[in-house]
Amino acid sequence: METVTSDVVKEPPGSAEAASAGSAPRVYKPEMPLGWWLRQRHYFLYIVREFTALPLALWLLWLLFEIQRASTGPKGYYPPESAAFVVFSVIVLGFALYHSYTFLSLAGVIINIKLLDKPIPSRVIVLSQFAAWFVASVVIAAVLIGFAR
Amino acid sequence: MRHDVARKRRPAFTHLIWWFLFAQGGIIAAILIPVHVLVQGILGPLHIVPVVDRHYDTWIRFLGNPIVKLYLLVLVAAPFFHFAHRLRYLLVDLGVPAARTLPAQAVFYGGAVVITGVTFWVLLTTAPLSFG
Repeated sequence: METVTSDVVKEPPGSAEAASAGSAPRVYKPEMPLGWWLRQRHYFLYIVREFTALPLALWLLWLLFEIQRASTGPKGYYPPESAAFVVFSVIVLGFALYHSYTFLSLAGVIINIKLLDKPIPSRVIVLSQFAAWFVASVVIAAVLIGFAR
Repeated sequence: MRHDVARKRRPAFTHLIWWFLFAQGGIIAAILIPVHVLVQGILGPLHIVPVVDRHYDTWIRFLGNPIVKLYLLVLVAAPFFHFAHRLRYLLVDLGVPAARTLPAQAVFYGGAVVITGVTFWVLLTTAPLSFG
């Protein structure tokens, strides 16, 4: 998820001889070039995965705004119609699916359950996560559509 | 040096709390958000299926349900604790070390707390509670 390295690392004792006695220890600050994440496909996909938070956050803020707009009364309320909003949602859906795929796949690594002294294979755990996602999606879609007219 | 080692071994409880919220927010976002984006953001506006938020009367009645209010609080607020953590470390990875500092933590996690409060307030004030 994120590196746990300190950004201020003391140099090993051997190389500290150059520093004169009594002065503050020299610090090593690792510097990454700005475009490091464009060098490899894995780095790029990692950054995309982390970036998914931003479009998802924007869409949830829109949903909150949509909820709040209902307080304007029947005359002031109009549902979202614009093509721009649909395009925005299509882009967000791409990021949302990537977040779901990467996050639910992680469960196989994180969750470790034993059944009758035998560990449940990570594939089964990942499959159960994807099954839960599918069932929840069907139920929510049914509710959002079922209560409409 | 000895003092440093002792300090490092102290359990990081605050980190544990944010990490727990990060994981819960992540799973909630993964399981719940795509279907909302698909139905409310694409299928509804394109008139492919009828959706509850397309008409004022169905939307306000839906929002008045206490179970829906509780669900929407979890759906909107919880993922922001995940987003706060991810975006803070995204900035660190992209070369903004200031994102590690305490003020940055206050801004990001504080932002998630503020959004939780705003969501709570919006859900309480938008539609009157109804059990029908």
